[in-house]
Amino acid sequence: MLRQSPAGDAGLEQARLAGVEPASPPPPELSGRDYAIFLLRLAAEVEHGLMVQYLFAAYSLDGRNAPAQADVRAWQETILGIAKEEMGHLVTVQNLLTALSAPLNFNREEFPHDTVLYPFGFRLQPVGLGSLATYICAESPADWDDAEALEIKARAQIDAGTPVNRVGALYAELLRVLGDATLVADRDFDPLSVAFQASWDEWGRGYREGQRGAEAMSGLPQLPAPELLIREVGSRAAALDAVEQVGEQGEGFETPVDDNASHFRRFLAIYRGMKGLGDGAADVVRPLATNPTTDLEGPDIGGPYDPATTTPIVHEQARLWAHLFNLRYRKLLVNLSHAFELSDDPGDRTTLSPRGALIHRTFSEMYNLRAISGQLVALPIDGAQPDGPRAGPPFQVPHTLMLPSDEGGRWRLHRDVLDASAAMIERLRDDGPAGGRAYVAALAQMDAIERGQIEQLIAGSGRMPAATGAPAS
Amino acid sequence: MIAELRILPPLAIARFGGAPTPMDNYDAIVDPEEPLGYRRLQPVETLEVDVDSGEIARAFVPERLSFSEGGEVRPVAPFLELWALTDGGQLEPLTIALLQDAGATPAHVRWRVQVANRKAARRTGDEADRIEADSGELADHARHLLDGRCANFWPGKSIPFGHVQYVKPSAAHPQVRLRFTPAAGNVYGASRTRPAAGRPADPNVTDVVYDGRRGRWLGHVDTDNTSTVPAFIYRGDSEGRSVGYLDDGCDGIVRASLTVAGRTLSAFGRVGAGPPTYAPDALPIRSVADELEQALFGPTVTPSEATLERVEEIVRRAFETVRLMNTAAMNRGGMAAHDRGTGRRADPIMAPALVDDIAVENLHQSLLAALRSGSAPWFADALRDFDEIGDLSDRGRRKMPAMMRGADGRHLTLTRRQIDLIRTLVRGPVFTDPGGEAT
Repeated sequence: MLRQSPAGDAGLEQARLAGVEPASPPPPELSGRDYAIFLLRLAAEVEHGLMVQYLFAAYSLDGRNAPAQADVRAWQETILGIAKEEMGHLVTVQNLLTALSAPLNFNREEFPHDTVLYPFGFRLQPVGLGSLATYICAESPADWDDAEALEIKARAQIDAGTPVNRVGALYAELLRVLGDATLVADRDFDPLSVAFQASWDEWGRGYREGQRGAEAMSGLPQLPAPELLIREVGSRAAALDAVEQVGEQGEGFETPVDDNASHFRRFLAIYRGMKGLGDGAADVVRPLATNPTTDLEGPDIGGPYDPATTTPIVHEQARLWAHLFNLRYRKLLVNLSHAFELSDDPGDRTTLSPRGALIHRTFSEMYNLRAISGQLVALPIDGAQPDGPRAGPPFQVPHTLMLPSDEGGRWRLHRDVLDASAAMIERLRDDGPAGGRAYVAALAQMDAIERGQIEQLIAGSGRMPAATGAPAS
Repeated sequence: MIAELRILPPLAIARFGGAPTPMDNYDAIVDPEEPLGYRRLQPVETLEVDVDSGEIARAFVPERLSFSEGGEVRPVAPFLELWALTDGGQLEPLTIALLQDAGATPAHVRWRVQVANRKAARRTGDEADRIEADSGELADHARHLLDGRCANFWPGKSIPFGHVQYVKPSAAHPQVRLRFTPAAGNVYGASRTRPAAGRPADPNVTDVVYDGRRGRWLGHVDTDNTSTVPAFIYRGDSEGRSVGYLDDGCDGIVRASLTVAGRTLSAFGRVGAGPPTYAPDALPIRSVADELEQALFGPTVTPSEATLERVEEIVRRAFETVRLMNTAAMNRGGMAAHDRGTGRRADPIMAPALVDDIAVENLHQSLLAALRSGSAPWFADALRDFDEIGDLSDRGRRKMPAMMRGADGRHLTLTRRQIDLIRTLVRGPVFTDPGGEAT
């Protein structure tokens, strides 16, 4: 059903220009604004899930035995770049939620997989034609229906177990809802919330206009470097622009003019390259276990993994690394969500808030996840099968991602995660290969420094402590 | 048989100090127990030269290091060793025994040291502003003052550049070496009237040496836009006119010669003197050593040279450099203010929330930690290329190293060789398996 929006509404005009229709009524029990929030929270989960699965896939690639090693390294970097862009989408979606005064969502797996707006069931698995087909379908445009599309869709359905839904449908629906002033009013977009939102200047790390990420992709010069979209939203027009940009980068509402910019095209290029390897494709992928988990009993406390495909990590050292990985993953999410609780006061250029430190620490944890993944992909998942599948990063969702309501409580949460991490580090310090020991020794010192700062924040002002000379040890 | 001579190190950098005893020897090592902390200064074997005899009185490892003595900085006084390339192609220290084999003694070794300070001359373009010292040929073991003389100085005035001493080889320490002890690090003045005897009125100045009527340095103003010397970095008055200050820094050539079997062999090395290091446990992100390495070996590295350890060392130096910066202030001043003069307002370089000193320091520490895992670097694209130093867009100004100025007055960049080292590893495997094999 078509609804008439207030005449002259800029958002509606933008939606019309984007080729979308005004929204249908929201589902029962949801107001228009609430429906927009529902969709955004779902989008956050989808982006988060895709980012994690793509990271796992990228870390599974291994160019040692590839006939064209440079290509495999470029595939890996391309997928890492897409994961970074999903991170940008996730952050932009949080900005949209902030603009609507809605609760943020850094969780995963809260929504049923069988909704038509959810692309496919979450699964950490090494790169293969099946998984690539799934990613391609999830990121595909609506009008993709050539012979290759049929082949890939069929392969994706086998891999995912169900038909794969397009992420683009979710963004098209968002565009419709946010563009309809009868569903979401102009006053629902809070311009003052921008101070609490993530900006590209703070979070972009230079990933724009091909400035970063191209170096390791020299084997695939036709594919673009990552482009982080982080949009601040203070109005309907900005919201629609953000949703359109994010959707366009994923798959495009139509076949993109700039072919290779979309995730769809980039995954398709890797799929074709891998298919060209024939039987040799298996030689460029590490034999990582599917859905590795530290839970020996089955699905972990964090999420509804499919018990039929979950692989417990039983190798003792790999389990320690996996626990450490989960803790750092949690720490990343806590840093990220905490940063959204602190404003960037543009009028205050003299007082530094912990917001910047939390942003830096979020990136620090990304470095840690990469470092620990390097250990995990080399370790067997089961000590009894030293040549069997390798463990991989488990990305298990923590028991809660809710932040305490007061700053003191939030810093105590940071301290708790560090303390749990310290216990794992202590067990890893004297064991394992030299690279791992050197890393955890440095990580222990890094955490001790941070813990000292957190103690000061708990005890004091909530501001970053002043320089005190030598780092704590 | 001695075929050729070499002076090692071929370049030695001394550091000013007014204390009578030169600084003891030490290494700055990364503490394995605190890999993210300051480098630990570890005393190592030090040679003590007896001033009168010129012999090495003792070789010892100091119990503790002290950078000052009686309120004065202890100078860093390097030794320049004479080495011999023998007929067998072997490079070995030139010793009393090797000299004897060649039918010579330490007295046959001749040294000559010529140093200069041309800072004023480079700005005025006046050759008469060159301050030069020449030890003359020497073969004894006394101290020889390097007395810096200049055509534009007042009669009888000079700037002492330190001294050199041919260390007398002995049975315990038979090697042939020369020691260069730099000056105290004093400032000298200029006047247009003959300076009076006694302490100068200007408290900054040790002595008034420059005749401002004869030379142009007093009152000089930089006007040469083609000069590669950074402009106006001398002490000037409110109009930018030089107040005529000079210092006792210098650099120059050390020559050694030896005549054996009717053949005169010679070698040369270079010495320089600069300010003391007040952060001896930190190394700058880019140094003269990096320039020399690039000049010697070129702008690219070989695959075997591209190691994670070398990248870690660059990141460690970045961390150590950041540690010495007030990043929050530099984000508004420093290069940010400098850019104002080249068409940009004094916009902050980074988002202000991101430049808290400790947070930036911690970020570099986390980079260091991650690299120790064997994970390849991923930040090559964040580095500023040599041809981007004048890019004043946000993306250009935010590249690394950030908020620092290079010798040409533009944003600092690493050497091409340093960047190539990092890029080579970025293009390689992401993970190094714990067993050591790259994957």
